[in-house]
Amino acid sequence: MNLKAYNPLWAHHEAMRAAATHWQKRGLLSSLQLAAIVAAHPLDYYRPNIFLRIILFIFTIIGLSAASSFMALLFSGGFHSGNEEVLLVTIAALTIAGGLALLEFSIKTSRLYHSGIDNAILYYTLGWAVFLIVYFIYEVTPIGYRASSSLTSPAAAIVLLLVLLLLVAATIRYAERLVAAAAYATYLLLLASILLQFSIGRLVLPFAVMLASVAAYFFIKKLAQRPDYLYYKSCLQLLKVLSLVTFYLGGNYLVVREGNALLSDSMVSTQVPFAWLFYFFTGGIPIAYIVVGLRRHDRIWLLVGLLLIAFSVFTLRRYHSVLPAEIAATIVGAVLIAAMIWVTRYLRPSRHGLTTAADDEDDTRKFNLESLIVAQTANVPQPAEVGFEFGGGSSGGGGAESNY
Amino acid sequence: MLPTQLLDELQAQGLVPPEQVALIRQDEQTRPFSVHYEVRTLLYLGIVLLTGGLGVLLYQHINEIGHGVVVAGMTLLTAACFGYADRHRAPFTWAKVPRKGFLPDYVLLLACLLFLILESYVQYQYGIFGTRYGLAVFLPAVLFLWLAYLFDHRGVLSMAITALASWLGLTVAPLSAFTDNDFRSLSGAAIGLGVALVGIGLWSEYQDRKRHFSFTYVSLGSNLALLAATASLLDFYSTSWLSPFAAAALILVLSGFLVWYARRTHSYLFILMSTVYSYIVVTYLFFQVVKDLKGSDAVLLLVLLYFLLSGFGAIMLFVNIKRILRIAHEPESL
Repeated sequence: MNLKAYNPLWAHHEAMRAAATHWQKRGLLSSLQLAAIVAAHPLDYYRPNIFLRIILFIFTIIGLSAASSFMALLFSGGFHSGNEEVLLVTIAALTIAGGLALLEFSIKTSRLYHSGIDNAILYYTLGWAVFLIVYFIYEVTPIGYRASSSLTSPAAAIVLLLVLLLLVAATIRYAERLVAAAAYATYLLLLASILLQFSIGRLVLPFAVMLASVAAYFFIKKLAQRPDYLYYKSCLQLLKVLSLVTFYLGGNYLVVREGNALLSDSMVSTQVPFAWLFYFFTGGIPIAYIVVGLRRHDRIWLLVGLLLIAFSVFTLRRYHSVLPAEIAATIVGAVLIAAMIWVTRYLRPSRHGLTTAADDEDDTRKFNLESLIVAQTANVPQPAEVGFEFGGGSSGGGGAESNY
Repeated sequence: MLPTQLLDELQAQGLVPPEQVALIRQDEQTRPFSVHYEVRTLLYLGIVLLTGGLGVLLYQHINEIGHGVVVAGMTLLTAACFGYADRHRAPFTWAKVPRKGFLPDYVLLLACLLFLILESYVQYQYGIFGTRYGLAVFLPAVLFLWLAYLFDHRGVLSMAITALASWLGLTVAPLSAFTDNDFRSLSGAAIGLGVALVGIGLWSEYQDRKRHFSFTYVSLGSNLALLAATASLLDFYSTSWLSPFAAAALILVLSGFLVWYARRTHSYLFILMSTVYSYIVVTYLFFQVVKDLKGSDAVLLLVLLYFLLSGFGAIMLFVNIKRILRIAHEPESL
């Protein structure tokens, strides 16, 4: 049986078309050549625009939920009261079997390829499968252990292990990026669950998460060398982002301190051991990411670094009041504007292999997005109140949205 | 590296001659890394932080700083920004103006935001508009509208529309339109403004008067009108002047228009909006019919059947509609 649910040629043709279009825009290919390449790499799968995918996703979830409820309604007559658990398990089993059959059938016949419909069926089916796993492990757990349903119980580790296996298998077959992300989250939770069985676990947990992220990063890099990289490209890119983020979060002061308080069930978080080390990580890692991203021309490192700086600032301001917010915003804003104007002029046309010119000229869609962001973030004050509020712009988080 | 493999393949298939492949390969290796959008995003973030911070700062320390100093300083800064933007301005046309760089665009945005702060300060301190607060918001709306057309700037156009809406007491910002608006008293104004904005967008699209502005008009306008109409349909506000039937009809007509517009401009965001709002209307009407029926089991069955059939029906419609709408494999876009 073929391990991959979708035709691997689809991913390959898609990548070839994208690369050829890019080269044509840069004037390296003639439009005739592009047309020939496009004709030689047909896309015969169904994947509409992102907004249509969202519509399809919503309606698939509505339809599937109604189908499950319908089954419950049909069967509920056959079961006597007190048998709700049997009913639930029956519905779960039927939904999983039906969902898988529907998924495979629709991919084969309608050539769906991450079209919103197949994503929805996959999530829905996996959701019920996870429910079944949790239910059965709970049932076979001896009564004495049931009370501790937290991460530290041995039952939790078994559940996480089974869920991880399920999600990895689903990722290998369907190459769905959110499923891959869920598998990654389960992997880290499993690690935490095992470590917390031991008394030393809580102390080494931050470092273990960082190490596990590094291991994951190199594993992902190795996977990217495989010939079927294109099939898993979106998954591997998202996993790369996540491994960079979790490496940072593992060493972030706020996460360590609040996580520590959470695990020891104390209401207020107190200073943690090695605080200076975590402050160093909080400040140093994002800057290192940005430097690496600019040097290696790796956009993922760069963007993750830029976003994490914002979180580092948040971390710092949570425990230390450096400046009043409005003064800090004014100074940081002025510095940012000046720095970006300088960077734009300095990198014109290009220096150190960097440029501020756009890679392609066709940016009308991004301007459309930008106009919506401006409408959301640059608010004009309402006139109603007497002595109405100042401000030609809320400093709300909206401005941090990137233009992609 | 990935492009290398793809190039090897193209060469092997004879689609691209070897010399050209070598050229592309060289371009892949030497092409500078573009930080275009990163720099623009940070620049915009800086502008939002600076103007947001400055607004609060002046408001809080209004009595500690000399008013003359503040007004003079702010006026100078605003004027300098407007001057810089004007120096780089291309002559006005009704078409899209090609850009040489993005800095003047952002400086104009900064100038407009600084102008708002300055205006608020002057109004607060000297009360130049007296108690006519409406005028204090109407003035920037008109100014920004003029600037948007003069400088061919969609961001300033958004600000003009936002100001126009807040002159009417409304919020058009896409995400806060739902939470910040008081539709009880303003649903008429909201629907009126929304439909008017959609009309202006339609006019620019058809008459080719700044055709690229139409997305901003139609997206902000239709979102506002659809939200207001849905709010009165769902009967949140019983005093609403719009009958539920008229509201439902309005939503369906507007949705139909959006589908037509999306097809014309290939902006599928509007198909998403029209689908969500029309489905709410249809579901609401269905429940209005069903709620008077007797027998809870039968009603439950009907409701489940409705969701099952409407869900799968909508999917079949959209999977097959691509021929009607001519939706091909296009690059991701708004």
